[in-house]
Amino acid sequence: MTTMGKTNEQDMLAIAQSAITVAKSAGAKDASARAYRVRDVSLDYRDGKVEKISESTTRGLNVQLYVDGRFSSVSTSDLRPEALKTFITDSIAVSRAIAPDPFRALPDAELYKGQSSANLQLEDPKYFGVTADEGRKAAKAAHDAARGVKGSDAILSVTSSFSSNLVENWMVTSNGFSGANRGTSFFVSAQVSAKDGDGRRPEEFDYAGSRFWGSVPDISSIGASAAQRTLRRLGAKKGQTEAMTVIVDNRAAGRLLGMLGVALQASSLQQKRSFLEGKLGQQVVSPLISITDDPLVPTAFGSRKFDNEGIAAKPRAVFADGVLKSYYVDTYYGRKLKMEPTSGSISNLSWKLGAKSQKELLAGAKDALLITSFIGGNSNSGTGDFSVGVVGFRVRNGEIAEPLSEMNLSGNHLEFWKKLAALGNDPFPYSAMRSPTLVFENVSVAGT
Amino acid sequence: MAENPGLTRRTVIGAGAAALASVAVSDLLNVSSLLAGTGPTNGVGYFARFGVTEQLIRSTLSSALSKGGDYADVFFQHRVSNNLSLEDGIVNRATANVALGVGVRVLKGDQTGYGFTEDITPDGLKRAALTAAAIAQGPSREGPARFKVMEAKPNRYPVKVRWEDIRPQQKLSVLNGLNEKTFKADPRVKKVNLGFTDQGSVMLVADSTGRIVEDAQPMTTMYLSVVAEQEGRRENNSINRAARADIGYYTADRLDRMVSEVVNKTMVLFDAVQPPAGEMPVVMAAGAAGILLHEAIGHGMEADFNRKNVSIYSDKIGKPVAKPFVSIVDEGTQEGARGALNVDDEGNAVGRTMLVEGGTLTSYLHDSISAKHYGVKPTGNGRRQGYEHVPMPRMRSTYMLPGPHKPDEIVASVKKGIFCELFSNGQVNIGAGDFTFYVKNGYLIEDGKLTKPIKDVNIIGNGPKVLELIDMVGDDLKIDEGGWTCGKDGQMVPVSQGLPTVRVSSITVGGRAEKKG
Repeated sequence: MTTMGKTNEQDMLAIAQSAITVAKSAGAKDASARAYRVRDVSLDYRDGKVEKISESTTRGLNVQLYVDGRFSSVSTSDLRPEALKTFITDSIAVSRAIAPDPFRALPDAELYKGQSSANLQLEDPKYFGVTADEGRKAAKAAHDAARGVKGSDAILSVTSSFSSNLVENWMVTSNGFSGANRGTSFFVSAQVSAKDGDGRRPEEFDYAGSRFWGSVPDISSIGASAAQRTLRRLGAKKGQTEAMTVIVDNRAAGRLLGMLGVALQASSLQQKRSFLEGKLGQQVVSPLISITDDPLVPTAFGSRKFDNEGIAAKPRAVFADGVLKSYYVDTYYGRKLKMEPTSGSISNLSWKLGAKSQKELLAGAKDALLITSFIGGNSNSGTGDFSVGVVGFRVRNGEIAEPLSEMNLSGNHLEFWKKLAALGNDPFPYSAMRSPTLVFENVSVAGT
Repeated sequence: MAENPGLTRRTVIGAGAAALASVAVSDLLNVSSLLAGTGPTNGVGYFARFGVTEQLIRSTLSSALSKGGDYADVFFQHRVSNNLSLEDGIVNRATANVALGVGVRVLKGDQTGYGFTEDITPDGLKRAALTAAAIAQGPSREGPARFKVMEAKPNRYPVKVRWEDIRPQQKLSVLNGLNEKTFKADPRVKKVNLGFTDQGSVMLVADSTGRIVEDAQPMTTMYLSVVAEQEGRRENNSINRAARADIGYYTADRLDRMVSEVVNKTMVLFDAVQPPAGEMPVVMAAGAAGILLHEAIGHGMEADFNRKNVSIYSDKIGKPVAKPFVSIVDEGTQEGARGALNVDDEGNAVGRTMLVEGGTLTSYLHDSISAKHYGVKPTGNGRRQGYEHVPMPRMRSTYMLPGPHKPDEIVASVKKGIFCELFSNGQVNIGAGDFTFYVKNGYLIEDGKLTKPIKDVNIIGNGPKVLELIDMVGDDLKIDEGGWTCGKDGQMVPVSQGLPTVRVSSITVGGRAEKKG
C-alpha cells in the first residue's frame, strides 16, 4: 500500500559515506557512520475485524565521532544534506567540550577482515509480495482457529496480529570498513483472554515467525495453541513455598540466560558489576552447559556477518562443559581491560542439546513446577542475586497438573546454574537465545 | 526565517536570537524551510520553521479521510535529546539524538489506520495519510474548513532557561561536582557512573474536528550509580531524578540528597539479607512505592483493556474495591513533575482522574477511542512515545491520597514482615491481575521494629486482592521524583508515582525458600 519513499539504496550508502567525509573535514580524526532504513507493516485483528493497520518506512543515521581524543555518538532522522552537515559540524563542537578518553578508538582494521562468505539467507526475496491484505488473512486464520478450540465458550477476546519488516543497514568507517546488510522477518501471533470463575481474566499468547513468509509455521495452529494455553490457565492458584524441581519452557528460558548475558559484558567487568569477573577458565555453571555464540546460523534472527562495530563475525565458545570460555568484549572496554575484542553483543546462541523432548522431560518428573513465563523481577549482575515472578503449572507423575500463579523464583546465578540437571532437544526458534527446555533441581520457589 | 509570520505570531518555544546563535544541537534543524511560502500558518507556531502550514495540515486530513474514515488527526513531533555520561572520573561520552516526523491516524469506529513519515513534504504527508486512510472503505469525507487553537492551555513546566541555551560546560560542572561528592561521601565507593539527559520535545496535534494545539515538553533526568567494595565484597545501587524542568532543578541540596541516599542505600547492602520466602505483611514506604498502584490497579484501569473486556477491572466500575480510606488518583497537573502534561497527545485537556474514591472504583483512564466507546469525556490519558506510534490510554502521575494512620503506627503494627523502600521495576498481567515489583532496599520488620536490611527481592500479588488487603494508609503522601518510564505495547512514556506509607496485610515475598519437611 505504501511505496518505499524517495531514497534508494545508493542514496543511503552515499549518506553514510558523506557523513564520514563531512566529519573528517570538520575536524574529526575518525568516524563511523551507519545509515538505516526500516519498513514495518503491522496489523491487529480482534474479535472478527481489523483493529489496527500501521505501515511505515523510517530511516536515519547514527554517527560516531572521534575528535581530539574525545568521543560522541549522535543520530538524526533529518537526512537533508544541509541539515546533516550542520548537525555533524555542531556535534563535533560539542564533542570538544568533554574530556579526552585515551581508550576511545575505532576497531583495529584487521578485525574487519575475514567475513564469512556463507549465504546466511536473511532476506525473503518475496518480501514485497506479502501485502497487508495477506497479513489480514493470516491474522484472521489465527483468530478463527483460537475461537474454534474445545472449551472456547470461556473465551472473552482474541486479538491476533501479523507483522513484517525489512531492515537495511549501510555502515562505513574512516579506517576502511564498508558493509551493508538486509534482513526480513514475518511474525504471526494470537493473544487470547478467557473468563475465570473468580473474575480473573487470564490471557496467554503464542507466536511464530521466520525470515521467510513461506516458512512461518501453520498459522491456525498458532491461534489454537494460544487459546489452549489460555484455557489451561483457568483456575490458577498460588502454590506452596518450597524447594523443588523446576522445568523452564524453552520459550521462557531465554529470560534467564539474558540475565547471565549482562554479567558477560566487558562493560560490566570493567565497571565491577559482574559476578563473572575473574572467572574465565573456571567451572561456573553445570557441566551440561555448552553454549557457542554463533552469528553464522542460516536464517536465524541474530545472524550477521559483521557486528555493530564492523568486526567480522565468528562463532565463539562462551561456555564449554560448564567452564566459562569467553566474554562479550567490544573495542572500547577491551582497550580498558587490555582484552582482545570478541564482539560486544550476542548474536545467536547455539546450545549443546539434550536428547529428550519437553514432553519426555516432563514424563520423567514425579513432582515439579513447569514455568511457562516470567513476570517482572530483576537480577543484580554484580552479585548474581535474582528474583523473578513465575507463571506455570504443577507437574505430577509426569503429567501437567493444576495451573499456578503468583509465585516467585529466587536465587544466585552462581548456585542456580549448577543445579541444571537436563536440557531438552528443543531450541526455541523465534529468538536469538535459542534456548531449549531447562530442568533445574532443588530450586527455591515462593508461594503461600 | 524572519519573514515567516508563524514565528512571530505564536511561539511555543520562542526562536529568539539567543537560540539561533547557540551551537547546541537542538537548533540544528533551524535551517531554511523547504516549503516556505506554501500558505498561511495561522495556528501553526513552532512547526512553521519546517514548512508546516494550516493548508498543509488541511490537505493531509483530507487525504486521511478520503476513504470515509470518521475521524483523523496528525501529530508532528520534533524531539531533541542530549546526553552526557561520566565514567571512571571523566565525562567521556556525549550523545545527541534528533527526531523529526509526523504520524497520521484515521479512526473508523474503534478501528485505527496509521502511517508516519520523516519526510515532511506534501508528498510524504500524503503517502502517510493514504496509508492510514485505508482502514476505511467508503466515500470521502470533508476535512475541517478552519482550525481553532486550544485556548487557555496551562503552563505546567515553566522553564527560565531553555536547555539549548545552556553551554556544555555548565552541564559538565554539575556532573563533575556530583562525581566528586559521591567519591568523597565514603571511601568504599569504587565506581561512579552518571548519565545526564536533557530533552526538548515539541508536538503539534491537529484533528478533523478543527482543533489544533502545540506543546513544548522539556524533560531532564540524572542517573547516579555506585559500586562499593568492603572486605572483598561488592555491592551496587543507583538512584535517578527526573523533572520537566530546566537546569535550575539541579540545586546543590537536591544533588547532595541524591549522593547521600545512593551511598547510604549501597553501603547498607553489605549487611543486607534476602528475606524469607512466602506470604507476609508488607509495609510500603512513602514515595516510590507508588509502583504498587501503577501495577496493581493503574494499568488495569486503562480503558483500552476494559473496552476489549480483558482487564480484571472490566466489570468493577461503581463497586467497592478497597477500604473506605483508600482513594487513588491519576493526574498530570503537578508542576514540573515527570508525569505532568499541559495537553495529551490527542490534544485533549489533562486534569485529575479519580480511579478509586473512598474505596469505590470510579473512572477508567481514557483516550478518545475509549471515551467514545463509553460515552464519557476523554480524561487526557491519550499518550504516545512519539510520532512513530498511535496514542493509547496511559498513566501520568498515579498516587494514593493520604489516609488516617501515622507511619510509625503502621510499622509498629507488624509482628513479622518486610518494609519496602526502593524499587527498580515492576510488571503486570492485565487480565489475571497478577503483578510484581522488585525491591532493591528494605528492612525486615520484627515485633514492630525495622531490623535487618533486605535486598534484591521480587514481590508478587494480585491487583484486586491486594487493594482489598491495604488495611492501613499513612498521612504522609510523597510523590517520588524518580525517572520512571512505563512501557506498554512497545511504547515507553514518562510517568510519576507516589504513595503514603501503606500496609498490605499479606502478599508473597520472593525470598529464599526453606525446604519443607
